[in-house]
Amino acid sequence: MSPHEAVDVGDKHGFKGNACESCHGPGSNHIQSLSAVDIRNPATLSPAETDKTCLTCHRNQPTTSGRLEASHARNAIACTSCHSIHAHGPEGLVVRKPAEINTLCESCHIDVKASFAEPFKHRVPENAMTCVDCHNPHGSFKPGLMRMASANEPGCFKCHGDKRGPFTFEHAPVREEGCQSCHLPHGSANAKMLIRQEVRLVCLECHANLPVPNTSGIVTGVVPPAFHDLTSPRFRNCTICHQKIHGSHIDRNLLR
Amino acid sequence: MKLIAIGIAVASSLFAQAPPQEAQPAAASTSAPAAPAAASPVPSGEQILSGYIDLGYRWVTGVYGSDPTYRSVVDLGSGPKMLGTDFTILDPKKRFFDRIGVRAYDWGDDPYSTLHVDVSKAKLYDFSGDYRNIAYYNNLPAFADPLLANGIALNEQSLDTRTRIGTYRLELLPGRMIVPYLEYEHNANNGTGVATFVADANEYPVASLVRSSTENYRGGVRIELSRWHIKLEQGGTTFKDDQQLNQGAGPTNYGNFLSPILGQTLDLTGLSEAYGVRGHSIYTDASFSANLVSWADLYGTLLYSEPVSNVNFQGFDTGNQVIEAQVLFYTGEQDLISALSKQPHTSASLGAEIRPFSRLRLIPSWLTDRMHTSGSSVGQDTLTTAAGIVPMASLLSSTLVTNSSQVEMNVMYDLTRKITLRGGYRYVWGNASDGILPIAELAGFEQGKIRQNIAIAGLSWHPVQNAWVNLDFEDGSSGSTYFRTSLYNYQKARIRGRHQISPSFSISASANVLNNSNPSPGINYSFLAHQESASFVYAPAGGKIWDFEGGYTRSTLRSNINYLDPEFLIPEQSFYRDNSHTVTALFDLNMPGWLGCKTKLAVGGSAFLSSGSNPTTFYQPIAKLAITLRKNISWNSEWRYYGFDESFYLYQGFRTQMVTTGVRLTR
Repeated sequence: MSPHEAVDVGDKHGFKGNACESCHGPGSNHIQSLSAVDIRNPATLSPAETDKTCLTCHRNQPTTSGRLEASHARNAIACTSCHSIHAHGPEGLVVRKPAEINTLCESCHIDVKASFAEPFKHRVPENAMTCVDCHNPHGSFKPGLMRMASANEPGCFKCHGDKRGPFTFEHAPVREEGCQSCHLPHGSANAKMLIRQEVRLVCLECHANLPVPNTSGIVTGVVPPAFHDLTSPRFRNCTICHQKIHGSHIDRNLLR
Repeated sequence: MKLIAIGIAVASSLFAQAPPQEAQPAAASTSAPAAPAAASPVPSGEQILSGYIDLGYRWVTGVYGSDPTYRSVVDLGSGPKMLGTDFTILDPKKRFFDRIGVRAYDWGDDPYSTLHVDVSKAKLYDFSGDYRNIAYYNNLPAFADPLLANGIALNEQSLDTRTRIGTYRLELLPGRMIVPYLEYEHNANNGTGVATFVADANEYPVASLVRSSTENYRGGVRIELSRWHIKLEQGGTTFKDDQQLNQGAGPTNYGNFLSPILGQTLDLTGLSEAYGVRGHSIYTDASFSANLVSWADLYGTLLYSEPVSNVNFQGFDTGNQVIEAQVLFYTGEQDLISALSKQPHTSASLGAEIRPFSRLRLIPSWLTDRMHTSGSSVGQDTLTTAAGIVPMASLLSSTLVTNSSQVEMNVMYDLTRKITLRGGYRYVWGNASDGILPIAELAGFEQGKIRQNIAIAGLSWHPVQNAWVNLDFEDGSSGSTYFRTSLYNYQKARIRGRHQISPSFSISASANVLNNSNPSPGINYSFLAHQESASFVYAPAGGKIWDFEGGYTRSTLRSNINYLDPEFLIPEQSFYRDNSHTVTALFDLNMPGWLGCKTKLAVGGSAFLSSGSNPTTFYQPIAKLAITLRKNISWNSEWRYYGFDESFYLYQGFRTQMVTTGVRLTR
């Protein structure tokens, strides 16, 4: 049974016994002429017109409340790009299984699919995770359609709860720019999905020992400066000692 | 008894004729045309139970090269497996439920096991339960390993843990105007690993016991009317982290620094540390949308959370340690720390879509995010020295304040039915401060602000049915930004297109570029990344005999930024280069009459090759053979190969192959 059967059997939408006309418009002329011209076919409409048809019923729902903030809507990706309106699936009008969800997203986001062929990645190719675990395709408060956890916390913390804090001693970039400051969540050739091949370079690009420029504004993250002797292998991987790099409950230098 | 009878019925007839849900090889999954039909084991007629189960055995031939890297990247093992099941149970009388759907994949000590259950009864309730058991193994040889020159690859940060995540949601009266819902989520992370005990002049790898968990409860109501909707949700979390570090009786741990200091060798003979972290939070999530007039929509969101952490840390260690600055040697240390931190966090957005004319849409929006973290800690550190007991106390307070906002206006104009133009402007502003008092050691107090002006443009073009092209462009300039590597003066563009040329042939292509630079003195940051991708799917006659899909992506990244070498303050530049090629392909061949059985062969896989700062190759070829032996039984086999190499870190390479074979029983 299609979820849209509710339109045919219920009073809520005003098309009881006449559900086809809720999307395809009045059908009397079409029945008489048997011409495709005399019926509205959402497949041939512009994305805006297609969405208008869907939003006639679905405009005021939580799933679409973030629609206007979403890149899908702004890029004129119509609802029917992902939803099969006539599909009679018990689970609704869109794919629900992990492999099918990922395939659907990857059919457009082919660059992201390629990132998951890199060695260090989340378990998306194995279908242990899906794109919609992290992204809300209808829209989000966060950039990149990122899902959120516990109201307004980054969705990453849903699984990585030990990084959530709050910490007595925070590492500011985690809060101000998010996990993507240091990690490539879709995939990386670098261990731990880091943006650089060695940890010290990730750190030194901010903790650079250079004066804070004042001419064009203030830059944070420079303090504290690094002072270790990087010729010693002891210090080439900063997180060996600064192991609580995501934030520490007890140590101001994030050592424990 | 009824439950037992249902259980017996399920166990005895768990064999379904359903499109298989197969774990695809990395990047070798089938690209489908947009909006594929929901392929579920939809029961035919009123069949009470339908579905399938895949049972099999996997042989891993052995790992050649680095086993720690293999486990960190792949981690599949030998043994019997329940590779997957997907079945549906219907209640013909629809008494307690209409339908139960169950999916489970990769059970049998695999690194990622999942279970998903949906139970529904029309207009009364929808229940979903999702459980995942994911192994996290990370033991990549550390670049800081002091024993690496001796051929000992010791990683001082390694983890062998399992994360178990359960999410259970009950929605009442689905499809009605007022929809209450409840949700419970449990997340637990347990395992072992190696962490570092950091003393002032040396650091020691020690055993770590990882134990943390989060419980999340929430409930809310959705009220959906024709002109407006509102969602109100209230939730709360509890959190605990009981990580422990231990150095038990056994060989003395000499750590990373083996040279004597003033004739004394540093060592650790005993350690016991326990983090007692307890956290809780409340949060509120409210949103609304309204369509009070036909030419305008309003929407808004208010989010608030206030997590709190309480910490009671106890540490005790013995050995020979030193505080270098005071030339103070000690043989024992007891550390007691209590800490508290709070993080009230408020976010809000408000926006509208205004349609003054049929072709024109104006979308103004405002967004703010304000997070104020404050913490304090009280510590009592007691050292046992040759001269006696030396107590040291500490009292610290910390703050991290981040306030940021943005306003944005987008104008969308339908130039024709096939072309939509988009233009807009975004202004982002905010400030942040980060401080620890009293100012001491390395951490201090700093303030930053962000000011960005961003021009936005876009184009959506649908030249013919089943074809589209999207273009996005942003040009941002900043007066100031938070970090040296943040977006400063940047241009970001993306073009993406797709064309279903015929029912059997579709192509997709995309190209992205991000150019970011910060020419400020002392930073001199320049970053350029671009990525070009193309893929196709060819399935003549709907893939009845064969189909082929392939994809290619080329990616280039170039980053330069200045820094001073830490000890000698010599100007250096951090270069990062990454030029990569990724190829994916999958060829499917159906051989209906081969060996008198319906047979399907699939061959493909992915290859990733990169050069630059971390030259890497990662090959994942795969071949699958499925032979339908009888109506309800098929024999499935799979061969996979993994080959991983890093030119600069040869000791991290590995290669292995594995064969999985088993049967699919369907009903």
